[in-house]
Amino acid sequence: MSVDVVQLGGACPAGGPCGGKGWSTFVGGLWANNPITIQVLGICSALAVTGRLSNALVMGAALVFVTALSNLLLSLLRRTMPRGLRLVIEMTVISTFVIFFDQVLKAFYPSMSKELGPYVGLIITNCIVMGRAEAFALQNPPLVALVDGAANGMGYAAVLAAIGLVRELLAYGQVLGLTVLPEGWYPRNLLAAQAPGAFIVLGFLVGLFYLLRPRQVEADAAKAGGAP
Amino acid sequence: MSLSRTSAAYNVIYAVVLGTACAGILTAGSSLLAPYREANERADEIRDVLGILGVPFEPGASSADLIALFERNVQREQRGRLTLYRQVDADGRVRAVAVPLAGRGLWGPIRGWLALEPDLKTIRGITFQAPDETPGFGGEIMKAPFRDQFRGKTIYGPDGKPALRVTRGEGPTAPNEVHAVSGATLTSGKVDQILNDLVRQIAEETQADVR
Repeated sequence: MSVDVVQLGGACPAGGPCGGKGWSTFVGGLWANNPITIQVLGICSALAVTGRLSNALVMGAALVFVTALSNLLLSLLRRTMPRGLRLVIEMTVISTFVIFFDQVLKAFYPSMSKELGPYVGLIITNCIVMGRAEAFALQNPPLVALVDGAANGMGYAAVLAAIGLVRELLAYGQVLGLTVLPEGWYPRNLLAAQAPGAFIVLGFLVGLFYLLRPRQVEADAAKAGGAP
Repeated sequence: MSLSRTSAAYNVIYAVVLGTACAGILTAGSSLLAPYREANERADEIRDVLGILGVPFEPGASSADLIALFERNVQREQRGRLTLYRQVDADGRVRAVAVPLAGRGLWGPIRGWLALEPDLKTIRGITFQAPDETPGFGGEIMKAPFRDQFRGKTIYGPDGKPALRVTRGEGPTAPNEVHAVSGATLTSGKVDQILNDLVRQIAEETQADVR
């Protein structure tokens, strides 16, 4: 079983609704094995839709919804699934949730739907969703798969929100469209609104994660007696 | 008969059931949400019409509010192939008239609106949506410097025939002429064609109203 969850705080008590794996799975998705900054997946949308914090938050919500529910459903189906159709089934389930979210967004939040453009639909091809389905949902019971999906979605959402916050602040002096740095006093830096700004902010964020994390990984690896 | 998980029949049945279930869910969702989606599409069009007519509206207004505002302020009238959108005030007087324009650009379709004063001669404003024209060249027709030239121009030439020219060169222009976008001769030519087709049509359909 190739579940790459970093165990934090020693052994978890057995039992509980997630079989003792709930907390470590949650921390793994959100922090220790964060899909963007550690696994470096889902970069395309992380760069494309983070010009504004509001866009980043909606995109993050979309991913939490899709990853959590597709993980849950695929885990429920895992024992009956014909092996040969595995990838087709994963794609079908993921696409259904993504298209559903896109439809709801188009109906109730059309301006946001326009802002995000094709990127909501492109969640279907987001490596995080497929990756969690393949690596986790098909090997684990439904509840812990749901936790894993939600945590990875939240890990993605948190990183997007952080990038969105920094970029919106640097580019427009605003947070969620409200001016916090007055226009006359703060010179707007439109580089942050463009793609290079996104690359730079993401680069710093990945660096920050690695700065804070490596000792933990090395300690765990030493304990487990293997490479991290 | 028991099905093995590796048998072809099991695969086919599984695919059919899952596919049908997913398609069913999405179809149901889509038809439930259709009225909202249609209202939003209508609101997009309404935003264009209200903007060109100069009816003030809140940018964040909901689709339902926009449609209500539109119904209160604008009357639609079909004349032949031409649809007139009249802005009518509380006393029933016409304040402005908008007509949609559409045609082929250089690289793709050009759409937009032409707004006229109540005399049906003088131009109040114009908008273009030309997503396929080259940004910085043909795409400049969507920007204010080009569009603002039209304000106050007339759609009739000195000889009284309907014409609205997009001309090359500099210097003063006739009352029914605007300058083309430099570097975008071909797109400007297409715009000239679209506008002349449109003003001829307007002249034909509104002859009786022109004062």
